[in-house]
Amino acid sequence: MGVAPATSLEDQILESGKKKKRSKLERTRMLQDWAFIAPQFIIFFTLTIVPFFVAIPILFTDMSQFNDPQINPVGLRNFTALFTDPSVQRDYFPALRRTIIFVVLNYTTVYIFGLTLALLMYEVGFRGGFFTVVYLPLMVSGLAVGYMAVMLFSRETGTANLLLMELGILKEPIDIFSAEGTALILPLLVGWRYAGYNMAIFLAGLLAIPQETIEASIVDGTNYWQRLWKIYFPQMLPSFILATTMCLIGSFAVFDELVAMGALYVNPEAKLLSILFFTYGFQVERLAMGMTLAVITFLPLVFLGIALQRLQRRVQY
Amino acid sequence: MTTQASSVPNIQKKPRLGVAGRKRLLRAFALVVMLIYTVLTLFPFYVLLVRSFVGTKDSADLHLWIPEADDVNLDMQVGNLAVFYDLDLTDLKDALGIPRTEFLMARTTLRQVAEQYEIPEEEIKGFFEGFYTYNGWMTLLGGELYGTSFWGALIRTLIITIVSLAFVIILSIFTGYGLAGLRRWDQMAVYNVYLLQMVIPAMLILLPQYQMFLWIFGLFPNYDEPGWTRWSFQLSAIILINIKGTALSTMIFTAAITAIPKDLEESAIIDGAGRFQYVFHILLPLLKVPIVSLIVIMLPLFYNQFLEPYVYLDPANATLLPFIQSAVGQFSTNFQLIYSAIFASVVPLVIVYLMFRRLFVEGVMAGAIKG
Repeated sequence: MGVAPATSLEDQILESGKKKKRSKLERTRMLQDWAFIAPQFIIFFTLTIVPFFVAIPILFTDMSQFNDPQINPVGLRNFTALFTDPSVQRDYFPALRRTIIFVVLNYTTVYIFGLTLALLMYEVGFRGGFFTVVYLPLMVSGLAVGYMAVMLFSRETGTANLLLMELGILKEPIDIFSAEGTALILPLLVGWRYAGYNMAIFLAGLLAIPQETIEASIVDGTNYWQRLWKIYFPQMLPSFILATTMCLIGSFAVFDELVAMGALYVNPEAKLLSILFFTYGFQVERLAMGMTLAVITFLPLVFLGIALQRLQRRVQY
Repeated sequence: MTTQASSVPNIQKKPRLGVAGRKRLLRAFALVVMLIYTVLTLFPFYVLLVRSFVGTKDSADLHLWIPEADDVNLDMQVGNLAVFYDLDLTDLKDALGIPRTEFLMARTTLRQVAEQYEIPEEEIKGFFEGFYTYNGWMTLLGGELYGTSFWGALIRTLIITIVSLAFVIILSIFTGYGLAGLRRWDQMAVYNVYLLQMVIPAMLILLPQYQMFLWIFGLFPNYDEPGWTRWSFQLSAIILINIKGTALSTMIFTAAITAIPKDLEESAIIDGAGRFQYVFHILLPLLKVPIVSLIVIMLPLFYNQFLEPYVYLDPANATLLPFIQSAVGQFSTNFQLIYSAIFASVVPLVIVYLMFRRLFVEGVMAGAIKG
């Protein structure tokens, strides 16, 4: 990661020699460089950073819907609602519980699928064909994965249920619309979808390990297990941190799969936090409250993510 | 990778199993795991295809291949057919020669219809031939919903995907080119801002972002009435969100352009090329690898985008996935239709993926190694 230094020796001498006085030509060039950066940077800044500042004044009002004609300031009521307003508590805390369960289970699938497959691929040599298969689910939308979950695991019509019961593996069908069914099947399918992505991250980490260290350890008579823990994993640390960041942010924001599983209307067990914010903004007219809850939930995560990114960069160098 | 075992055969003396034997065992084990994983991965796709041909009435039975079309049950009530299979009663009346003015009660069975209007049962069966089996596909490909059809939604999805890809490539090259000329401190400052993209989920900024767009749209009085203005504004909002640039795109292009010798640009400029000419005529052909890398990573994201189109687009302007989702709202009981729609939405990208699988694998691995 990171951008390679652009300066050649010549540039460095030039820079140290006349740091304060740049020629007019150089200055025009630099302005042009900034002009090249500007278009995308302005779009990025307006759409990613500015919304935070747009949100700040709204957090302290009772704005109920978009383009609300009548907005009254309410002070900190949106923030304290989490401790005082039972209707918000009833919505928020179950959703938070489900989200945390999902994040934990989803994080394990990163390793169950991604790491295992990467190690397998590393040991037997890179197989393009198998990579194609593992990466295939990423071509499927989250919505489609959600409907696949419904198709395979609804209680009475799920094909996987029917097949497993026919084969005698399952006694009772799994119900995707129950709390346990959602909690188990959803991470499994999301993990399956991102298996190729996580495998690529881990495989890149494995390929970066110098061959000499591995060969030296074999000469010293280590077994595979020791090699895994003493050689592979410590050197793959940047990959682990990257996978953690992506999984953490991604699973808190999971949305499409849940919509497909009926979270917006019929299936309350699939109501995770992202669905709650969406509902508050677009369905039940509690826009300011929804924004506040989103900020309270996600802002710590954003800082955690930034910290993880810094850690990753420090580990890498 | 495979050399690690063979390069040290005489040092490592295992009493039970030789190095070659162990290697063979590992191969066989890996092969079995890969085979099982492949079957499990392809299974949902296959089931999706099969289930798109299974009528709602048969969905509680296990179907592992496409069922044969069976005759319509004449004791079915007309109302049930309309609800579960999206039967258009006007079409039925026209086909059977019943005047349109006649009112068919929802609870009338097909047999009663046949008796009442003296239509031979064979004719009714003929009208309903393959009705259950192909119901999902016929409704999907011929049906209209909120003023749009499957084909319209597909075309809008393709427009958004292709335009976004083109813009994101050009803008990312500009960013990389500009950054490559800057000093390291400035480079990192810009790059750190782009890094925020990885940790800010779309869900967090969705609500204020949408409010911002509404304010901007509100400046144009034409926006409120349906038409081309509204259509193009909504589509451009999605495209703008798509092309805003990511940490990955910034990084791969900065790294690639920094690696190109500065002499090349100097000689081009001495030859009289402007900086834009340099970018489009010299840089662009040199950047094939990062461009492919960016395309294979962005293409699925753009094509499968759901959250923003679902929020921003009117149902009449919907792209594929919001279209399917609103179809679910309307035909919530016709799961056959939903599976057909999902299958149809998955197929185009999977075909592209399989055609260019080598590029995908290489691009993804290149992106992962850089990232």
